[in-house]
Amino acid sequence: MTLHSRRPLLAVIAVATLLGAGVIAVSATQGESDPVTPASSLPTQGLFEGIPQSGIVLGSSSARVTLVEFADLQCPYCAQFTTQALPTIVRDYVRTGRVKLVFQGLAFVGPDSKTALRAVLAAGLQNRAWDMLDALYRRQGAENSGWVTRKVLRDAAREGRGLELARLFRDAQAPAVGRQLAQAQRYADAAGVHGTPTFFVGPSGGTLQQVELTSLSAEALRPALDAALGQ
Amino acid sequence: MTDRTLASTLAVAAGAGAAIAAYLTVVHYRGGVPVCVSGGCETVQRSRYAELSGVPVATLGLGTYVALLASSLTRRQLVLAGAAATALAGVVFAAYLVYVQLVVLDAVCVWCIASDALLVVAAAAATARVWRTIE
Repeated sequence: MTLHSRRPLLAVIAVATLLGAGVIAVSATQGESDPVTPASSLPTQGLFEGIPQSGIVLGSSSARVTLVEFADLQCPYCAQFTTQALPTIVRDYVRTGRVKLVFQGLAFVGPDSKTALRAVLAAGLQNRAWDMLDALYRRQGAENSGWVTRKVLRDAAREGRGLELARLFRDAQAPAVGRQLAQAQRYADAAGVHGTPTFFVGPSGGTLQQVELTSLSAEALRPALDAALGQ
Repeated sequence: MTDRTLASTLAVAAGAGAAIAAYLTVVHYRGGVPVCVSGGCETVQRSRYAELSGVPVATLGLGTYVALLASSLTRRQLVLAGAAATALAGVVFAAYLVYVQLVVLDAVCVWCIASDALLVVAAAAATARVWRTIE
């Protein structure tokens, strides 16, 4: 076979390579800066579906009121609040675009707190921190029993609607996540947070006030949120 | 190998590939989860790599397999060349997606891997058919 007669085959290979490379380029670059679009059926009962997430923030960036929660992923009351009260807060205040939630994770209970928190902050880099948070609280084990295994993180992350696992595990060890962890601790020290969960409410961008809770229910938070909203 | 044998091989591989792609397309649009033995299908199907400019990759695969199946019915050189180019481009993209599954997502979708294997067979047959015409 001469070079001349090989031409059709070379053309086929050239076209295929170009076509393949083009498709890869489209696939690799798409969706990187897209806002996160939640998928349809959800293990988290659709709790956060359709609500914008950016890093550790859940809710509209233009929400008038901000609710900051200081929490430790090993703290049973934090888990109780997230699984029982949060859905109501999300439905009535966050989903309506009036309030945004900011998660400030602390890791004072022990090593498992830090491992879990790093994973949540890493999920935040994919704008899925709240999904990861909720999924981990529902798997919470006994304090510092080593319950935050790679399998638990993996299973929790799989509920996180398209969370990229390898990236999550990589980011969990990244310096950026370490800095976020230290920053939350500085905020907590500055605000005089001594236990978890501790909540602060106020106008977005303004001064937030600590909320003294009588119980860990949505109803206990409601007066503070309504007052901040001016209702 | 005769063109008849190659065309039959192409038709069988493309037909089986089309069946898998059709299944994954249906699952994608229903928002469900593929029956999966590896546990990674859901992650893969819900990742941002499961769509290309809004079109499910499974649907693109279905289109490719149907085109390859159709090409097995003819001997026109231009069609054979087009089919081979499409199939080879598909193999290049499939290799990239295998990389994504293993390295980026850390999750493997067995349906996708089965489809990739069929695509390699189809591409080999389609390329061999072009080769025969210029020998």
